Amino acid sequence: MNGTLVKNELILEFASGKLNASKSIFAATYLFLNSKAANISSAFENLHGDSLLENKDTPTSNLKFSDCLSSKVVSRKIDKSQFGPLSRVVGSLDNIEWKQIYKGFKEFSTKIGDKDELKLIKMDPGTSVPLHSHGGREYILVLDGSFCDEHGKYTKGDIQINDQKIKHTPIASEKEGCLCLTITEKEVIFFGSFGSFLNLFTFIRSFFK
Amino acid sequence: MNKSELTNIMIKITEDRDEMAFSDLFDFIAPKINTYFLQNGLTSDNAEELTQEVMSVIWTKSDKYDESKSAVSTWIYTIARNKKIDFYRKNMKIKINEDDIREFIYDEIQQNTLTQNDIKDQVDKINEELDINQKKIIKMNFFESKSHKKIAQELEIPLGTVKSRIRHILTKLQRIL
Repeated sequence: MNGTLVKNELILEFASGKLNASKSIFAATYLFLNSKAANISSAFENLHGDSLLENKDTPTSNLKFSDCLSSKVVSRKIDKSQFGPLSRVVGSLDNIEWKQIYKGFKEFSTKIGDKDELKLIKMDPGTSVPLHSHGGREYILVLDGSFCDEHGKYTKGDIQINDQKIKHTPIASEKEGCLCLTITEKEVIFFGSFGSFLNLFTFIRSFFK
Repeated sequence: MNKSELTNIMIKITEDRDEMAFSDLFDFIAPKINTYFLQNGLTSDNAEELTQEVMSVIWTKSDKYDESKSAVSTWIYTIARNKKIDFYRKNMKIKINEDDIREFIYDEIQQNTLTQNDIKDQVDKINEELDINQKKIIKMNFFESKSHKKIAQELEIPLGTVKSRIRHILTKLQRIL
């Protein structure tokens, strides 16, 4: 499947409530930054709203309308922040404890209880990632700045979804660098000599998880 | 009950706190919400419990409904969907509430250029483009969260056909969205 197809699948699954918590946060942040994606999601929600109206009836056996009049519903306040849904999970981006992987490339990982790992990646201007592919799908959302690779240029609010077959060499913009949110379903496989070093690093790190 | 009748009922609930109007809405929509939860694999006890939660939100938070932003059916669907997500997450001990994740987006959309008409155009396009069988597969796979295997069994078609049909639908959607 090509990139756009998978993108629509992600939005459709988000609108249908089929994503795990990590991917849901990823998709929500995407929609927060990208109004076109939010628009598509709303269209799918409308479609499902129509399906609800067409549903057959299963009368409730014990429940009456009067049981629903006095429930305590907690209202929450929405704190305005730069990256919306994501900020709720990782807090302010100013207070993140970055871990430097190599010069110009820092990351911060967080697990929220499902099999995926949400990772923030910060690349200094001009930094590149050696040619690599992935054991599973890789989801990348640009939060700030931009990067480019063999497939094009990606700026704030753009996503790239890569499957196993895709190899790429992302380079952060010379001017502003790049801040991304990613989910990698399985470990990344690097190519080349520096790549071998990173593979070894990934291998060793897997013992400490 | 059609969509404009639903909107009128919702206005009575929001503005007049009309319990009779809420009772009418309950009679119409609660059995359909209940079905939705059953379709999504909940037991009848759990389905009824979540139906109560959804109906309670509709009554308590009716002021959150904005008819310029979405159809009543869409608003109710999103409440039910989020309850379903949180129900399944509770078993995984994930403390993040789906409303918390999504509220930002809806809040943002309010200030956005996004209008009901833009969305309606897209819904119309989807409805024109997809035939009955394709809509059925979308409903089973996404609205009812059925696995490809389950869909294959119910429609009595090979698993590969289900997968290729879904890919075909996504390709169509890609062209029009």
